[in-house]
Amino acid sequence: MTSNWFKEMLLVSVQETNKVLKDSGLLLFFIIVPVLYPLLYAYLYNNENIREVPVVVVDECGSSLSREFLSKSDATPDIRIVAHCSDFEEAQEMIRNHMAYGIIYVPAEFSRELAYGRQATVNLYCDMSGLLYYKCIYSGCTHVSLEMNKEIKMSRMGGISQHEMNVNAMPVEYDYVTMYNPRSGFCTYLIPAILVLIIQQTLVLGITLLAGTEREERQKGINLVGEFDAHPLSVFGGKTICYVCFYTMVCVYSFWLLPKLFHLPQMWHPHDLIQLMIPMLLASIFFAMTISFFVRERESCFLLFMFMSVPLLFMSGISWPRSAMPGFWKAFSCLFPSTFGINGYVRMANMGATLHEVRRECIWLWAQAAFYASTTVLIYIRLYRSTHMPDFKYMSKAAIERFRKRIGR
Amino acid sequence: MRIKESRAYAITRRELTRMIRRPVYLLCMICAPLFCFVFFTTLMGNGLPEDLPAGVVDCDNSSISRMVIRNLDAFQQTDLRYHYASFAEAREAMQSGKIYGFYYIPKGLSHDTQRFEQAKVSFYTNATYLVPASLLYQDMTKMSEYASAGVSRETLLAKGYTMDQAMGFLQPIQIDMRAVHNPMLNYSIYLSNTLLPGVLALIIMLVTVFSVHTELKDGTAGEWLDMADDNIYLAVFGKILPQTLVFMLMSMVYLVWLYGINSYPLNSGIWPMILASFLLVLALQGFALFICSAVPSLRWSLSLCTLWGVLSFPISGLSFPVMGMPPAIQALSNLFPLRQYYLIYVDQALNGLPLHYSAAPYLALVSFIVLPLVDVWLLKRTARQYVYLY
Repeated sequence: MTSNWFKEMLLVSVQETNKVLKDSGLLLFFIIVPVLYPLLYAYLYNNENIREVPVVVVDECGSSLSREFLSKSDATPDIRIVAHCSDFEEAQEMIRNHMAYGIIYVPAEFSRELAYGRQATVNLYCDMSGLLYYKCIYSGCTHVSLEMNKEIKMSRMGGISQHEMNVNAMPVEYDYVTMYNPRSGFCTYLIPAILVLIIQQTLVLGITLLAGTEREERQKGINLVGEFDAHPLSVFGGKTICYVCFYTMVCVYSFWLLPKLFHLPQMWHPHDLIQLMIPMLLASIFFAMTISFFVRERESCFLLFMFMSVPLLFMSGISWPRSAMPGFWKAFSCLFPSTFGINGYVRMANMGATLHEVRRECIWLWAQAAFYASTTVLIYIRLYRSTHMPDFKYMSKAAIERFRKRIGR
Repeated sequence: MRIKESRAYAITRRELTRMIRRPVYLLCMICAPLFCFVFFTTLMGNGLPEDLPAGVVDCDNSSISRMVIRNLDAFQQTDLRYHYASFAEAREAMQSGKIYGFYYIPKGLSHDTQRFEQAKVSFYTNATYLVPASLLYQDMTKMSEYASAGVSRETLLAKGYTMDQAMGFLQPIQIDMRAVHNPMLNYSIYLSNTLLPGVLALIIMLVTVFSVHTELKDGTAGEWLDMADDNIYLAVFGKILPQTLVFMLMSMVYLVWLYGINSYPLNSGIWPMILASFLLVLALQGFALFICSAVPSLRWSLSLCTLWGVLSFPISGLSFPVMGMPPAIQALSNLFPLRQYYLIYVDQALNGLPLHYSAAPYLALVSFIVLPLVDVWLLKRTARQYVYLY
């Protein structure tokens, strides 16, 4: 009996694999998209950071000190001075024409204030079309000002030893370390999350496409409940085996080969990663199978799920921190495997977290897998054993007769 | 003329009934965009994450180290709520996602300061989460000056320096950063303005392709063309019209939602943005028609439009500027309607420039609208010959 059941399951999975291989739409989702999209994204963000943001300068002071400040700013990797303007209006005009993204304005009294021993101000204006411009201009100029402040303080104190001057200028020194992503790179930050998201989204799209096809065939009376009468549990098991096989390959590619190609961090332990990937894949597959029940046509999956990619990415908290998310959205995000998959994988790959440190995510993924597995099985039992199938009304009388005979009612 | 009008009307009516019959249209054209509009703006409700959880490892445990910690905690974005006994513990907390950064105060801080040696405090952020990390970094750089200045300032004031003189001594050059038109660095302003139209853009392209190609798939294309008297332009016009109206309505919804209800910066007045949004709807429909005429397969044209729609998020440059991308991509970015919309938004709503500064992106959107004129005749041929295969 058990071997029979097992055979049936294997048959279903072979049949499913055949379906996937024959259908160009499915190959697109199961192979082409998971291979090409990450490549594209990694290529887009391959520079990791923006450097040399063009800025214009209005130097009304024109002293050696202001020139020192400006040339030091120009020397930072963040800023490139593209023009010196005679007045503010001219500088603004350059910003309007997108020749530069920021203005460094040194007021006329800059060096005089410094000479008097008062505080001098440098004004920065930043075009807010992108936050990275702001970050670059701000950090570039701040570094220069910190450095010059130290020198000015030291020169004013004079007379003491170099060591003492250092201590006086900065009694407590601060050291800033960016862990896990030392270049603060965009690629390192976003690509791992996108890899996980693509796996879930292509699974949802592919599986709903398959379900939509089956449903269309049922409507036409071609293929009622699968080509042979398999038990819903074996259908469930067989399909799962097929998808797991495909996505094991995809996982190897996305989590091992691609990061190698683009020199992304891979700090995971194979042993830990596998233990995270298993619940992630299962949860995504069962989630997709449950969702697929609600799709009526082959192609409507595009319309119904594509737009969710961006909200899902945000829900994971990779961009907007989860600590600042409203409770409602936090709870809502728990419905999707990607939320925990992304957080778990990112921490393992970028931060070298061990399984113990991502146990919360792991538990959630297993819980989701269990939940969606049970919903899927319930739906399959209903779908495969009930005469009140959703599309029953579309069937011809002969088809219904055949169907009735088959399920023995 | 009369006949033509009535024909277009008949096709439009037919399209409307098709749309009502299939729930996928309702879900996709109305529910999905509304969900996203509400989602993005409420998710980033405050605009700036406050009280990011951070930790402290205080190995010194002296009054000086506690004073430093108090100073650090005063900043708005950082919430030093966890204390750890060792570096390893803090690192583990970071790896399990509890904190975004921590201060490390080494043993001997008070010792060093009293011996007149330079002490060092280290600050570690988790740059895997880029936004919290850069916010913490900003707090930290401000801090590094203020905290050490705070100590010396009191001494200077006691010595009889005025406040001006003291600050002039402690921080001779001050940086005054002005984030023009988004002074609070509101993250939602910076993202939602393009994300909302972006989601709508994706949906517009997909719906357009879907509605045209389902005619071919269902075998009703012949009937559709007959109704238009074999005039493909009329057929397409009648078919697209109801969708255009719905999408324009949805654009109005997000415009009202963003600029009316949420009061995001709108320095140009609403008209340039209405114009841009309507042109965006038409441009996307034009682009989608161009694709579905050129690629006579529902699946492949949907895939192409999906690729275009999804790629337009990164390539519009809203989060990572286009200037940092490879040169080939920089050129390619012009072919994305959303990129053009983003350029208009920056010039108009955000910066409030006169209209002529954004002439180029407006014209680019218009050129997307006329794009299908090039190849829509192909669609007619396919419509007459098509057999759905998968």
